[in-house]
Amino acid sequence: MFEPFTLPFVQRGLWEVLLLSAGAGVLGVWIVLRGLAFYAHGVAAATFPGLVLAAGLGFAGPLGALAVALVFAGTVGRLAARDDAADHGTLTAMVLVGALAVGVVLASDVYPRATDVQSLLFGSLLVISERDLVIAGAVSAAVLVATLALGPRWLTVGFDRSGARALGVRGGPSDAVLLLLVALVAVAALSAVGSLLAAAVMVIPAATVRPWIRRMRPWQITTVLLTAVHGVCGLWLSAQTNAPPGATIAVLAGGTFAVSLLARVLRDHLRSRGAGGPSAVADRPAGLGVGA
Amino acid sequence: MSAPATSATGALLELDGVGAGYDDALALRDVTFRAEPGDRIAVLGPNGGGKTTLFRVIVGELAVRTGTARTAGDVAIVPQTERSRLDFPVSALDVVLMGTIAARPWWRGPRRADRDAARDALAAVDLADLADRSFGSLSGGQRQRVFVARALVRQARVLLLDEPYRGLDTASARRLDELITRLAGEGRTLLIATHDVAQARAWDRVLCVNGRQVAFGSPASTLTPETLAGTYGSDLLRVDADGELAVVAEHHCG
Repeated sequence: MFEPFTLPFVQRGLWEVLLLSAGAGVLGVWIVLRGLAFYAHGVAAATFPGLVLAAGLGFAGPLGALAVALVFAGTVGRLAARDDAADHGTLTAMVLVGALAVGVVLASDVYPRATDVQSLLFGSLLVISERDLVIAGAVSAAVLVATLALGPRWLTVGFDRSGARALGVRGGPSDAVLLLLVALVAVAALSAVGSLLAAAVMVIPAATVRPWIRRMRPWQITTVLLTAVHGVCGLWLSAQTNAPPGATIAVLAGGTFAVSLLARVLRDHLRSRGAGGPSAVADRPAGLGVGA
Repeated sequence: MSAPATSATGALLELDGVGAGYDDALALRDVTFRAEPGDRIAVLGPNGGGKTTLFRVIVGELAVRTGTARTAGDVAIVPQTERSRLDFPVSALDVVLMGTIAARPWWRGPRRADRDAARDALAAVDLADLADRSFGSLSGGQRQRVFVARALVRQARVLLLDEPYRGLDTASARRLDELITRLAGEGRTLLIATHDVAQARAWDRVLCVNGRQVAFGSPASTLTPETLAGTYGSDLLRVDADGELAVVAEHHCG
């Protein structure tokens, strides 16, 4: 049953998802808490033309992806972070569609032979290189360090932006780091799940866990574990069924999210019918905070 | 905090001809008053009359356009609880710990000393036993006191309370009264934005603003029908046989 995991290329994929899940899980909690879900999806998808260019011009894919991701973070992300309440969805969507279109044109007309569009968009978890593992490990380590150092600030600014200023906590620099980290994790997730499915590891697990926790630390730990479980199970399933691993992980993540959503609806329904009254639901964790 | 303190005067807060605003027009002008340690100052004014603008100037969030504003010691704002996210996965203690961030180097998380200080601050507002409860599950009055604790943990000597009585039941309002009196007794200065004229009468000073400073002084000298009419205009309503004045105003701060 577990013989797929004895194959070296599957083992590399396993290491990749495990290394990735630490950073993606912890950062995913911040992404959901701060309403950056659509930004996270946008920055990952926008890396596509960078990947195509890198393949066509013959330099390292992650470099091309990172360059585009940084431009995206510097423009759309800055607007998104300036005011959590404002809706920059339209701008994000336009940049995202534009980037995909440019990528497809480049891939089909300029560098048709150099690129494998499918693996750029949906990942290639069974052909993981040493470099991919190093990137995943380094990015995850950066996320963990940044969370320990800047987490209280991210929390304070998200809790009450103008109140944070009055507390002497300036949101600008720490939020810029948060946006940068989202871009880095998106780049690290490309080899595993591709630019279109990055949200499956960066956003969905955190959103799945959200209704069931009351504090940040349990949320982060549970999300990391869930991301790892998705990755390992998806890898195993895809080896058994010959399905693409990135898409399999995304389907598992989406399925878990749907179950969590249904269970939450059911729980709220039972609570409102049961012991009843507002006091019975007063201390329950709040609903999903996923933006757009 | 616009400038260093003038310790010679002993005042914790000193505004002289202060004007401030968000665009070319000044939202507030001609504000001149001094606040001594222990002063409880009611800030009366209609919505949009400049109470929030005044607070933002004092806390240093909004630049002074004319005049000077001087503060001694740390200033903290106690916001309306509706402005924060009630669905955040934070405990009352987590919220108070937010007040300790600015005093630490940016890379350092809260230490044991910070947690102890935060618990002490919660104990000072009688919430020691609710430290680990979710912030969003607390009552309005309890959330208000958590924000007061967040100001206390910063050692703030000037506290600006933004319509703290809004939405509180009688028992919570009485506890807040006691807390305000106790904090003033510790030598702090409290500015309390309110619409409640009867309550303002019980405090030490009253500041009336309506786009500009209408009056500042003792309750007896400021809470006159003329001054209140100048402050609230048509929002003012006279009630009771004994002539007690009350204000009917929509409850949101301008």
